[in-house]
Amino acid sequence: MTTKLKEVDVVIVGLGWTGGILAKELTEAGLQVVALERGASRSSENDYSLPNIRDELRYVVRHDLMQNTARDTITVRNNPQQEALPMRRLGSFLPGEVVGGSGVHWSGHTWRWTDMEFKVRSNYEERYGKKFIPDDMTIQDWGISYAELEPYYDKFERTAAVSGKAGNIGGQILAGGNPFEASRARDYPLPPLTPILASEMFTDAARNAGYHPFPRPSANASQPYTNPDGAKFGGCQYCGYCQRFGCEANAKGSPHMTVIPIAMRNPNFELRTHSWVTKVLKDSDGKRVTGVTYTNVLNGEEFEQPATIVLLCAYAINNVHLMLLSGIGQPYDPVAQKGVVGKNYCYQTGAGATLFFEGKYFNPFMNAGGSNATIDDFNTNWAFDRAPHNFLGGYNVSGGFNTVLPIGYRPVPSGTPRWGSEWKRATAKWYQTAMVINASGSVMANRYNCYDLDPTYRNAFGQPLMRMTFDYKDNEHKMGVHAAGVVNDIAKSMNPTRLNPATARTDPWTVVPYQSTHNTGGTIMGSNPRDSAVNKYLQSWDCHNLFVVGANVFPHNSSYNPTGPVGALAYWTADAIKNRYVKNPGPLVPA
Amino acid sequence: MMGTRRGTLALLMMLLAGAARADGDAARGEARFQDCAACHKLEAGANYVGPSLHGIFARKAGEIADFRYSPAIKRSGIVWTPETLDKFIADPQAMVPANRMPYAGMASADDRADLIAYLQNATK
Repeated sequence: MTTKLKEVDVVIVGLGWTGGILAKELTEAGLQVVALERGASRSSENDYSLPNIRDELRYVVRHDLMQNTARDTITVRNNPQQEALPMRRLGSFLPGEVVGGSGVHWSGHTWRWTDMEFKVRSNYEERYGKKFIPDDMTIQDWGISYAELEPYYDKFERTAAVSGKAGNIGGQILAGGNPFEASRARDYPLPPLTPILASEMFTDAARNAGYHPFPRPSANASQPYTNPDGAKFGGCQYCGYCQRFGCEANAKGSPHMTVIPIAMRNPNFELRTHSWVTKVLKDSDGKRVTGVTYTNVLNGEEFEQPATIVLLCAYAINNVHLMLLSGIGQPYDPVAQKGVVGKNYCYQTGAGATLFFEGKYFNPFMNAGGSNATIDDFNTNWAFDRAPHNFLGGYNVSGGFNTVLPIGYRPVPSGTPRWGSEWKRATAKWYQTAMVINASGSVMANRYNCYDLDPTYRNAFGQPLMRMTFDYKDNEHKMGVHAAGVVNDIAKSMNPTRLNPATARTDPWTVVPYQSTHNTGGTIMGSNPRDSAVNKYLQSWDCHNLFVVGANVFPHNSSYNPTGPVGALAYWTADAIKNRYVKNPGPLVPA
Repeated sequence: MMGTRRGTLALLMMLLAGAARADGDAARGEARFQDCAACHKLEAGANYVGPSLHGIFARKAGEIADFRYSPAIKRSGIVWTPETLDKFIADPQAMVPANRMPYAGMASADDRADLIAYLQNATK
């Protein structure tokens, strides 16, 4: 039996960065907001404080802050000819399941994606010609511009306490920052983090090679900070427990210590935890949504929560899953290339080298989430000519450490036995002497990389699992070869005692080991309903009172971490709802 | 070797810190409190990541009943005075090894004097 509750103005599905931002903004605008979060409420003071948070077994191996795959998971295959099988244990990516979402366990890397991404098809067609883009590469422009998003990037950087060094303020290129970034109105709210030995060595080597290294912008407060909403940050202590952990010093910008507690002080806001949304409900003609149904996972009770506006703010994969389960928008068919929901799933790729320097002490246990120096010479640098290498997109290269775990991080030179006394000797000898250089690469959309509902497997609520079809294509392979070459050239120039070189990946993608929690696409944004699921305000083309917020709206994936535009788009959408939609409900862009 | 040197340095810092200055500037100290404010509140009973600092100069370390202190702080026997607090925040791990406050320390004696001048009123 489903209990029907009283209607509210807004229901938010999932309370991480996007849900938190929208909850805060919309309650302040006077709307009555209910947030439904699958996970539990956790706090800095009770859960992320010392000594309990430094528990590698609990948080890294057992995924304490992440989605429980016994309840719901996805099925995975590399191509439509294969039978997809369920991912029974998290591996390649780690969706958060807790108040704060993945914003609790992220590292903090915060980038501004630019018109290089937002106008991707136009850019490549203009410079390299239409034929340069492979037929099966379904990249498209996003329907939004960097100029539109710039103030919202700024707002998110200030909310999340991003430390960094601007490379371009108002068109003026500044030494020490990223010279290839788009023009910013002003600098980051905080100066860069203190560099570590590995990032300094990488910086020198990259500069000597003629590249343009800069400190990676990251939401790890380099000094104590109060954000514009009054949330207090401690200075980062470089404890090394960043990615996959909550921050013990309140120094990592996270929704549970910024936007969410501010929303919770507002009487217009209500949070219901352990609340699993199973469906978005549509009215009889399918033009509007009327609310959601959800189950209290503690006791199995089912509720209907009617709402005037529904915001899907869950993890990117789960937002798309809910759209498919609810029958909103036409599901994508990769063979006929019709439909939009499930289209353009993208991931990321990479190549990394490990360098060993006898006599150096890197102290890898001490670092911040963003203790890396980075070069963008093969990424946002449009002057880098892709034609000779025949790939689209790009990759950034970084040197340094980010959450190097005392137990899990065991660098040894290639050829060392995988176990036994010789391995023990090697891990003791080389632990302090190793550093890494990594390339992180974009993945361009492909017609066959997509989501749909699995025909066989079901979750704990009896609903079809999400099916992911994904593999790397020639474009990624070619980029991987180029990236491995650049990484290895920089590495060799540093004269390490031993080098485990980077190799381009050629094997098919698999769900193990961990790779990146940067899953994008599925309900992509665009300028018309024929090839996108939502408009530039992340508003559903089908149901105007439904907004789908998160990396699921990205039409392709860049080499950057996604949280910068995810946060900026959440603020952008909040403004569109507050200032335009509530005054005149209806499509914000004519179809 | 490194350990010994660090120990000596810590001892030296403690000796220096022992001579806590009494002429801090409370107005400047309020800005220094930014270092603490992400975890410590000043209102009575407002325990957060760290214990409430209300009334700190009238109590012993580890004394608030409903705050989960580290064993190190509980057995430290510290009575909070401007002098002991000065020593502690100069290098918390040196004065109370294995305490759980994630803070590396406030190096400048002037900054500490300002902060303590501020706290003397603000924690009343």
